[in-house]
Amino acid sequence: MADLLPPLGTAQTDGKTKVDEKVDYSNLPCPVPYEELHREAIMSLKADNFEGLRFDFSKGLNQKFSLSHSVMMGPTEVPSQSPDTTIKIPTAHYEFGANYFDPKLMLIGRLMTDGRLNARVKADLTDRLVLKANGQLTNEPHMSHAMFNFDYMGSDYRAQLQLGNSALIGATYIQSVTPRLSLGGEVFWAGVPRKSGIGYAARYDTDKMVATAQVASTGTIAMNYVQKISDKVSLATDFAYNYLSRDVVASVGYDYILRQSRVRGKIDSNGVASALLEERLSMGLNFLLSAELDHKKKDYKFGFGLTVG
Amino acid sequence: MDSLKGKGKGSKGASSSSKLDLVKEWTNWSLKKAKVATHYGFIPLIIVIGMNSDPKPHLFQLLSPV
Repeated sequence: MADLLPPLGTAQTDGKTKVDEKVDYSNLPCPVPYEELHREAIMSLKADNFEGLRFDFSKGLNQKFSLSHSVMMGPTEVPSQSPDTTIKIPTAHYEFGANYFDPKLMLIGRLMTDGRLNARVKADLTDRLVLKANGQLTNEPHMSHAMFNFDYMGSDYRAQLQLGNSALIGATYIQSVTPRLSLGGEVFWAGVPRKSGIGYAARYDTDKMVATAQVASTGTIAMNYVQKISDKVSLATDFAYNYLSRDVVASVGYDYILRQSRVRGKIDSNGVASALLEERLSMGLNFLLSAELDHKKKDYKFGFGLTVG
Repeated sequence: MDSLKGKGKGSKGASSSSKLDLVKEWTNWSLKKAKVATHYGFIPLIIVIGMNSDPKPHLFQLLSPV
């Protein structure tokens, strides 16, 4: 838990150098949801690089209702025995989607040509209680998953209960401790591999930077730091260590948001360099270019795509 | 008497475990049916809710590619 101490240290110096800013401990802001703790870092460091062709067309029928058609052609990776080689199988599929967005109800459904359905539901049951459900249903037996989350948003805390298929139960809780620091924890119990786990997380954010740290009993320790240099540029760095499997990964990434385009790139300690460019050619027409070079495994992936609507 | 007692206990044991089995079987059956219903009906449900929202879109808009 030593990684939690440095952020607190910087909080003290910031408090002293600012003008009389009294902290109103009874009126703290609501913290970020537990699963979005590191969302700024994810935007730069875990951009969705793809391989092959991607074409997305989305047509809005209504303010709230829209349909989408996606075509994806390219190799998909299949897990292989040895970690050095990757097996790729070329596939092509078409996906039909329907979305309904309401202030109180959101429904997203995607159906692929092989019969897989990806469904997401978000419903505001009351002012503070939100139900989220997420499912991947397939025609093959025993390959479908579903997860239900009940989120309760308090004045300066959030609590979440998760129920999943094959007896998975989890709960998370995050609390704002000061206007900038929030601490949280999670527990989960999985029925099928009889495992349970507990984890802690902390997030410290200011206008210019966000630092988060997470420790879990599954062995992962992850820390990341995002610095917002200006409105257009932000840099991020991430360090993940698994003390059970002794895996270490460190990465550094950037995110440039320009007027007509957005470039995100990162480089890894595993020898992976990747970048994603999204360019707005005209209103509603976006062009995507993605590249991922894995020098250690000698696996080079390039993709291009177009998004309409 | 002992054999009757034994039989009584045995049958009681069988009925309580079969009740639990019945509940398990019933939940499994209903979950399977719910999964099939969701698989076939989720996208039609979104389309029905969407077509009935304001302002009502036309069926032509749903089917045409433009």
